[in-house]
Amino acid sequence: MLFSGLFRVVSLSVVSLSGLDLRATGCNVLKLGLSVLIVLLATIAGMAVDARAGELRFSRDVLPILAENCFACHGFDEAAREADLRLDTKQGAFESGVVVAGNPKASPLIERINSNDPSDQMPPPESGKQLTEAQREILQQWVLQGAEYERHWSFQSPQRSEPPSVPKARHPIDRFVLSRLSQSGLTPSPSADPSTLIRRVCLDLIGLPPTLAEIEKFNDDFARNPEIAWQTLVDRLLSSPHYGERWGRWWLDQARYADSNGYSIDSPRSIWRYREWVVDALNQGMPFDQFTIEQLAGDLLPDATVGQQVATGFHRNTQINQEGGIDREQYRIDSVFDRVATTGTVWMGLTIGCAQCHDHKFDPIKQEEFYQLFAFFNDQDEPSIKVYDPDLNVSEITAQRKQAEQDLGAYFVSHAEEQIDWETRLDEEAKKKLPSKVAKALAVEATKRNLVQKLEIASVWRGNDHQEFERLKKRYDELNRLLSNAPTTLVLRERETPRKTTVLIKGDFTRPAQEVTPGTPAILHPFKSAQERPNRLDLARWLVSPENPLTARVIVNRVWQQYFGRGLVDTENDFGLLGARPTHRELLDWLAIQLIDGSWDLKSIHRLIVTSHTYRQSSAFRDDLSKVDAENRLLARQQRLRLDAEIVRDVALVACGQFSSQLGGPPVYPPIPSAVMSQGQVRRSWKASTGADRYRRGLYTFVYRATPPPSLNVFDAPDGYSSCTRRNRSNTPLQSLALMNDAAFFEFAQSLQRIIEKDGLEDAFRSCTGRQPDESELQLLRPLDSLTAARVLLNLDETITRE
Amino acid sequence: MTRPLNPFQDQTRRHFFSQCGVGVGSAALATMLGEKRVAAKNQVESPLAPKPSHFPAKAKNVIFLFMAGGPSQLEMFENKPDLTKLNGQPIPDSFVDGKRFAFMDSSHRRNLLASRRTFKRYGKSGAWVCDLLPKTAEIVDEISIVKTCQAELFNHAPAKLFMNTGSGQFGRPSMGSWVTYGIGSECQDLPGFMVLQSGPRGPRGGAVLWGSGMLPSTYQGVPLRNQGDPILNLSTPSSVTADQQRQLVETVGKLNLKRLVATGDDEIATRINAYEMAYQMQTSAPELMDIRDESQETLDLYGIQDPQQASFARNCLLARRLVERGVRFIQLYDTNWDHHGGSTETLEKHFPSKCRDIDQPGAALIRDLKRRGLLDETIVIWGGEFGRTPMGEVRQFTGRNHHIDAFTMWMAGGGIKAGQVYGKTDEFGFGAIENPVHVHDLHATVLHLLGLDHEQLTYRFQGRDFRLTDVHGQVVDGLLA
Repeated sequence: MLFSGLFRVVSLSVVSLSGLDLRATGCNVLKLGLSVLIVLLATIAGMAVDARAGELRFSRDVLPILAENCFACHGFDEAAREADLRLDTKQGAFESGVVVAGNPKASPLIERINSNDPSDQMPPPESGKQLTEAQREILQQWVLQGAEYERHWSFQSPQRSEPPSVPKARHPIDRFVLSRLSQSGLTPSPSADPSTLIRRVCLDLIGLPPTLAEIEKFNDDFARNPEIAWQTLVDRLLSSPHYGERWGRWWLDQARYADSNGYSIDSPRSIWRYREWVVDALNQGMPFDQFTIEQLAGDLLPDATVGQQVATGFHRNTQINQEGGIDREQYRIDSVFDRVATTGTVWMGLTIGCAQCHDHKFDPIKQEEFYQLFAFFNDQDEPSIKVYDPDLNVSEITAQRKQAEQDLGAYFVSHAEEQIDWETRLDEEAKKKLPSKVAKALAVEATKRNLVQKLEIASVWRGNDHQEFERLKKRYDELNRLLSNAPTTLVLRERETPRKTTVLIKGDFTRPAQEVTPGTPAILHPFKSAQERPNRLDLARWLVSPENPLTARVIVNRVWQQYFGRGLVDTENDFGLLGARPTHRELLDWLAIQLIDGSWDLKSIHRLIVTSHTYRQSSAFRDDLSKVDAENRLLARQQRLRLDAEIVRDVALVACGQFSSQLGGPPVYPPIPSAVMSQGQVRRSWKASTGADRYRRGLYTFVYRATPPPSLNVFDAPDGYSSCTRRNRSNTPLQSLALMNDAAFFEFAQSLQRIIEKDGLEDAFRSCTGRQPDESELQLLRPLDSLTAARVLLNLDETITRE
Repeated sequence: MTRPLNPFQDQTRRHFFSQCGVGVGSAALATMLGEKRVAAKNQVESPLAPKPSHFPAKAKNVIFLFMAGGPSQLEMFENKPDLTKLNGQPIPDSFVDGKRFAFMDSSHRRNLLASRRTFKRYGKSGAWVCDLLPKTAEIVDEISIVKTCQAELFNHAPAKLFMNTGSGQFGRPSMGSWVTYGIGSECQDLPGFMVLQSGPRGPRGGAVLWGSGMLPSTYQGVPLRNQGDPILNLSTPSSVTADQQRQLVETVGKLNLKRLVATGDDEIATRINAYEMAYQMQTSAPELMDIRDESQETLDLYGIQDPQQASFARNCLLARRLVERGVRFIQLYDTNWDHHGGSTETLEKHFPSKCRDIDQPGAALIRDLKRRGLLDETIVIWGGEFGRTPMGEVRQFTGRNHHIDAFTMWMAGGGIKAGQVYGKTDEFGFGAIENPVHVHDLHATVLHLLGLDHEQLTYRFQGRDFRLTDVHGQVVDGLLA
């Protein structure tokens, strides 16, 4: 019986595992012992398995099954709990008698999952969930082995470990990766060639392709000493100001940054100083803990600088509903919901937002705890502040303006008689012809006029000493302009009296329940505050506390994902019970500890990753891998990645020689197709920028949430409605139409045409792809006219791909 | 039919060549890759290729006529004598206590407002239709008029999101995206989900209404534009000849193919396909838009005065042409149905003109689909994001506020029962007293007719399986033929 059961296990799993053909080895499998088989199945199914697996491990093998199939009704959410049974704790499972350790036959759990009676069967048929034979076998084994529970992996602190020693590998990342590969009998791919390498690392670190001169220099350096050439290149890129632009965009995705208010009216907003702050902070290598604290609570730091206030724009990237007839409180609350959920996703990789209406179904987060987090974000006003040029000495200028005001005042006093004289001579007819503002000012009794009114009058009245007046006025105007020209930006500011925060029944703001005070989920490390009422600053410090098991892991994972197309944890926004398990847990933990121990320096993490051989491998597909690891989870090669939307544009700009490298400043308006802006309720104007602003990086393009720029949108740029922790990489005909026909891309092609005509086809090819074309490629290109050739080059899959 | 984790974030997925719609590339691929092992099973499938449904479908396509702003059911389909009788009287407290409305701090009032229109019964079903909809009155035996639609949000943008995505939150896929994600599209040279607009401006909310949310952008609605290129970037730049464009597509294909052979990355095969489809679209979309091949009789049926002029009528005709081409989900937005009673939004003047805009074309669409044998396989939905209150608003002129407790939509075609009035409302048309149909139920029903189980059409994102119907929704049996 056991053996036939086993065979079913195997054949079923064959069906579900594409690319894996076990049928040929079916007979051999039958000879294997049960535990080995299960481990084998788990290994194949997840490819996410620890090396030294000899027996079932709760959090790796059992918990995912329970979480997926049982916890919705027998989990953490008390309100949804059926039959008063919870299986997410050992106590719940044992005390109910549903699980009898070591005795599957006596355990109702096992009986129910094996039942064929629809009224008895678990999960019930109407749930739409069904356990596979293999899953049932695992649960049975688990009970047999004692039904041990263990804490979910991501709630345990990262564990320190030495990178395994592997022959010929020195880089710690490679040691982890190779050790895992060798367990599967796999070898890594060779290093990519130098021209692929430089383009890859340039695109990854600064989001721009290398110039021809840079490629040549690197090739020379590489021929002399590959290692030194690489280190030098990486150092140069990490200190390039474009690094902040590239990785700034990575962060702005998560911050749901855009330049308009969203909803139906979608008016433009000014918050680009926040975007600048992010880019600057990353360029300066601001430690990630400080980066966090300033964005979540910069305004609460002692003597907060303007920059620290600007940083709080992170949570002002929520939408604002300006539609008529709304209840403002409803949409304020909605933005607070978004702040809580975004904080949970971005720093903790937890779907805390799921606990808005009820206790979390899968993760141990109570609805009340959601509102405790909500309380941190419920006590702010949402003003905008002026941000002066850092070179401007604001207090000095303000003082000068005061002086200029006094000078003007003195001028008016000394010319008062003269002016009154003029005024009395004005007849009714002349008065009628005066501008209304002047007439209004004249209507005020002479001694009671303020400076503005006096200036109005002086716009038509010329005194004897008019030159002196003009001099004073000009000075005054200049100073005013200096002070008023400063752009504004949206920030958070703590209210003096906190709002009362309650649980909201089903997340409905009209249904308050019990009052709550600020606090953090009990499942995580303890929360400390020296204050009576903890605030966002305490929360920010708690998030980046070294005790926090999540933040560092979540962040290094998201960095890793940029380099390999997928994180070590596949579900980069869910480290909870339903999330994927890490493919390389020790490596993830090691990197997280590196981040914390290395003073939260992100650039060090980037350097670590890109100097590994794992990163530098060729991305070419391998037949031997397609059978064993088709999805490349074990990293025996690099991954070809279609470029992010903004970089698709940037690459074309650089290749065609039009690129404007100007950093920062207000958003720009490169040309977009007509009528795009009429898709929303309010038709927004789009006056195309002129001069160099037409050729700025995609990062600087103005983004209206309701009518996003089409050439960015079509390549999956996020829309800024909610935090985006990972972009889609779709591959569609509309992208082809954009690259072929969009007016902006056509203009780039015309510039590239001139390069072809001046410097030849090969240079143009290299500008686009970073490599020398081979003869067969040239044969295809040579017969084309130079414009068509230029368009071909900008349309190549390779041009928009990081190889 | 739960699908694996987002396939578009998954760079190494295996593709399958689509069975249809692929020309040069696939043939060339087959030859070139014949030698290479990469090729053997690399059939590349367009993500929009038709996919099997959960169970046999009643309908293949959907046309959603979206009256943006919220049309007044009380001036169209709801004949309520009590409303006339009690005109100007406050609605009893029992109706409105604890309810929230838009404009509560300004123009919202409790006084009932008699309908501005007169009604007659039509067809075998005896459905009430107002004097402004004579053509709609003629097709009542083809449609199900649902009086008891219910929504949850009473401000335009969130309510439109809700009607389209089943959620007032941003970032959820719209129904058209779910459908094309679920069963693909029969048409391989046009996008599977297309959006047409009429009226003085775009709908409140903009692109997010046809957005694909967490689903890949492949499934987002593509606006078919009234001015310029019907699809963005569809035309070849003016200085480029047809020959040059063909050379471009061919050479890009050949060079991409070499790269495919060198790297073995299936994504390149998908891209080769995408270029071919884009190239075909350059011909097929202008053909679609060129309605000169339609007979005068057909133009008259829809009431199209000027075939060049954008209008709801022309959009209805285009919708039929899209269905003929196998486009899966078509949504028409007609804006300015928000008749509060302000000077440009009165029930007396502006509302009748909107009704004239849509009455004949909507009815013509049903007739035209029917005579061409397409109505059986096409679901037509008519309605807005909500309806209007029985109470009047205090503004310069007469108008009504937004209302979500009971409003009217109609449905017709593939699998929908013809010639019935479904659901009952109270004496003022304020609430549903029989057979309420929540937006989630509407969604569940549409998916059901397309052969999709709304509880199984899911997408895993942020650790949970998302659905169009969230955790709600029931197929409305009473609407099924």
